Amino acid sequence: MTDFIGKLRGIVGERGLITEEDAKHPYLTDWRDNYLGTALAVVRPGTTEEVAAVVGLCIDDKVAVVPQGGNTGMMGGGTPHRDGREIVLSLNRMNRVIEVDAIGYTMTVEAGVILKTIQDRAAEHDRLFPLSLAAEGSCTIGGNLSTNAGGVQVLQYGNARQLVLGLEVVTPQGEIWNGLRALKKDNTGYDLRDLYLGAEGTLGIITKAVLKLWPKPKDVATAWTAVRDPQAAVTLLSGAHAASEDNVTSCELMARQGIDFVLKHNPGATDPLTERHDWYVLLEWSSTRSRRAGDNATGLAEKMEAYLGEAMESGLVVDAAIAQNEAQARAFWALRENHTESQKREGPSIKHDISVSVSKIPAFMTEGLQAMKRVLPECRPVPFGHVGDGNIHFNCMAPAGWDRARFAPHIEPISAAVYDLVVAHGGSISAEHGIGQLKVDELAHYRSRVELDTMRAIKRALDPQNLMNPGKIVRI
Amino acid sequence: MPDTFTPPAIPTTPVTPAILDGLRTIVGDKGLILDEQGKEPFVRDWRGTLIGTAAVVVRPGNTDEVAKVVKLCFDHGIAIVPQGGNTGLMGGGTPYPGHTGILLSLGRMNKVVEVDVVGYSMTVEAGCVLQTLQETAASHDRFFPLSLGAQGSCMIGGNLSTNAGGVQVLRYGNARNLVLGLEVVLPNGEVWNGLRSLKKDNTGYDLKHLFMGAEGTLGVITKAVLKLWPAPKDVATAWLAVRDPQAAIEILSEAHAASEDNVGSCELMSRAGTDMVLRHIPGVQDPLKADTNWFLLLEWSSSRPKADGAEGMAEKMEQFLADQMEAGRVLDAVIAQNEAQARNMWVIRESVAPASRAEGGGLSFDVSVATSKVPAFIDQGVKAVLDILPSIRPYPLGHIGDGNIHFSFMAPKGMDRETLRQYSPAITRAVNDLVRDMAGSISAEHGIGIEKIDELAHYRSKIELDTMRALKRAIDPKNIMNPGKILRL
Repeated sequence: MTDFIGKLRGIVGERGLITEEDAKHPYLTDWRDNYLGTALAVVRPGTTEEVAAVVGLCIDDKVAVVPQGGNTGMMGGGTPHRDGREIVLSLNRMNRVIEVDAIGYTMTVEAGVILKTIQDRAAEHDRLFPLSLAAEGSCTIGGNLSTNAGGVQVLQYGNARQLVLGLEVVTPQGEIWNGLRALKKDNTGYDLRDLYLGAEGTLGIITKAVLKLWPKPKDVATAWTAVRDPQAAVTLLSGAHAASEDNVTSCELMARQGIDFVLKHNPGATDPLTERHDWYVLLEWSSTRSRRAGDNATGLAEKMEAYLGEAMESGLVVDAAIAQNEAQARAFWALRENHTESQKREGPSIKHDISVSVSKIPAFMTEGLQAMKRVLPECRPVPFGHVGDGNIHFNCMAPAGWDRARFAPHIEPISAAVYDLVVAHGGSISAEHGIGQLKVDELAHYRSRVELDTMRAIKRALDPQNLMNPGKIVRI
Repeated sequence: MPDTFTPPAIPTTPVTPAILDGLRTIVGDKGLILDEQGKEPFVRDWRGTLIGTAAVVVRPGNTDEVAKVVKLCFDHGIAIVPQGGNTGLMGGGTPYPGHTGILLSLGRMNKVVEVDVVGYSMTVEAGCVLQTLQETAASHDRFFPLSLGAQGSCMIGGNLSTNAGGVQVLRYGNARNLVLGLEVVLPNGEVWNGLRSLKKDNTGYDLKHLFMGAEGTLGVITKAVLKLWPAPKDVATAWLAVRDPQAAIEILSEAHAASEDNVGSCELMSRAGTDMVLRHIPGVQDPLKADTNWFLLLEWSSSRPKADGAEGMAEKMEQFLADQMEAGRVLDAVIAQNEAQARNMWVIRESVAPASRAEGGGLSFDVSVATSKVPAFIDQGVKAVLDILPSIRPYPLGHIGDGNIHFSFMAPKGMDRETLRQYSPAITRAVNDLVRDMAGSISAEHGIGIEKIDELAHYRSKIELDTMRALKRAIDPKNIMNPGKILRL
């Protein structure tokens, strides 16, 4: 073993290697504290060639590799097992932006670049990289791509998968696949790129990517609205496309329970509306065209005001506030983005990251809330999510004051009730968070044998020794 | 295909009378074609350049029949060539001359299963003709954007298996971007039901994207859930004479903002290509009798109807074209005043393929480079080809917004096909080397099929080819599903 560590040191050097327990700890546990694993070492290569050499060494010594980005995943996909013979391969030293091609609307980056850095670099060039999610200050692009991350801009721009032109991947054989193509069209054989995206590091390690950029929005309107119910939210969004001239970029639904937790755990946060309501929608429209001065040109804020006025008359919207400046818009967004963190502070919870087709959201919401309450009447449901994607974070907090041990026996029955309902509605049990360790059995339960067999066949074909993030997504 | 082409090894298990009886039991007599004359349109490609064989053409009527047919073939190791509308350009749906197995035509599976107007999706069988799907969507005030020259006969199953492109990719993406879910019969005869209509679903490997573009080598797509869009209500179509390809790129770049992000299509044409269409396709009018070398077909469309008194697409475009003429990029232009004029402009673009057939011999390369490199590619590429054959007649055209050029050449006047063939390997090497040097793709939208397997092997890395082979072996261990296409194993 010392020999193995010595060889690792030979590849990545002293600063690329962490072997002492205290220093390893942050890499061995997920941020939700659901999992605590073990690793022979945490290895932090500085280049693609070092990644390839480390993987090659691990193949020789039959050590499994757990790739890790910012370690912000929800499903334990980047956390090692407790009893494995594994290393954590952290990409966080590979954090260079290699090239920004403003004219060609692309950016080439290493896997360890933090998402926020990519957004900022794009903005410096008057461009937009649309991927945006609560963990953007610490998650890294390699992890975002490996999990096909979603976030709050999917409605307009698509999932992470849609934001990528090319990839570089270190294969489970320790070879480097150079698929860093900046092409919009390329029909030359199997679509390897889309296979690696969303594979959660089980088929190889994404080391670089060519990302697509968009023009930067110049005119943005953000509103905080109280809506009658989830059906009203769906109807509000449906009409918003035409009213905004196809400029809806976000439409986030939240229940009052979630707002209460955010206000409780974030001292600076305030309720934008004077009265309490059951359901809220954060609506954002943005256009790449600047507001023109004078004549009959109306900006998005005016259009949104007119639209929300009509929606209030028809009873869809109960009350609304349009942000008057960027600070207000940020405050609205903070209410949405602090949901996850606030729930973590409130106590134990179960997360269900589900999707159904958009038109089924209202029915699912009603039946789902009833289903959770039937299992545990005192539980506190906190549904919120991306209406336009049909994606609801159908979370459930433990009753007030309960600790994890007391809540634990109820987790499985609540989840089973929710997932059965999702499947009955033709939905997905993991819309954006992936499978990781947490949902391996759920996936096996709900997916057909044919589908699981096909995934296993792919895994075995590309990673015959099962050394690349083993035990994640599917059992072999 | 060069004369030196050696066909890949494929399974040669024959279809015995007993197996034929088995097939008949599954699909009935109406689902079998045995006589040579009946098989002929299925075993040759539409250009007539590739002619293969098949013991029998099998035409199942539903997914269950497809699954049973594939299972029977799997059990006996019989090779299967799946086929849609047989309009492919690379021979992906054409059997090899040494093929002893079956040809599986999806043409009888042509039902639209469901149109979900509110949910903007449509569930269809693989054998639906593309144009039928466009019309079905339109009849529900919806839009299915996939659009290409062969739309009157190509089928959606083939479109998805080849990840077809076409003239609306700029705005809506390739075929793979238009799909929410698939049903696929796997090489062992099992049915994968992935007919989900979800916008987000992160549950394991993305099988859908693996089957799309695999040209039937990993399974047979039998159904799909397609995305629909709002129907365009305000469309402006124009035919522009432009200074050169660089001007075309700059016009497109500025058109996005001027149209308020409503550019639907932007197709580059040359004088030579336009004249070729005018020569061979009856009834086509030249929209501009301009004596210039380059033309652009530009279309803007919006799903918002033009409001009374407000500026519509045509007015915005008129202003834009005036500005572009001032800037010297546009030399002359005409905006279609009615549907018939717009249709005429599109017929010119869409008739390039049939016109080139009528013209006689020629060469064409479906390549892509980064959009900003399109002018340099055309310039250097034409020079490189003229160096080899100075009298060849270039007529490059294509979807410049996608960086996709159909880099096409008519044979020199009076040169027969056989003579031209002798130049083909050298010209192919020159063009594809340039594509490689410019970090482009040697097949932007037409795929690999039979025609490009050796080119792909030449230009792709060993690790990439090995990975593709590993996937093929994993999913089709007996190599019965469209064997010898895309890859040699």
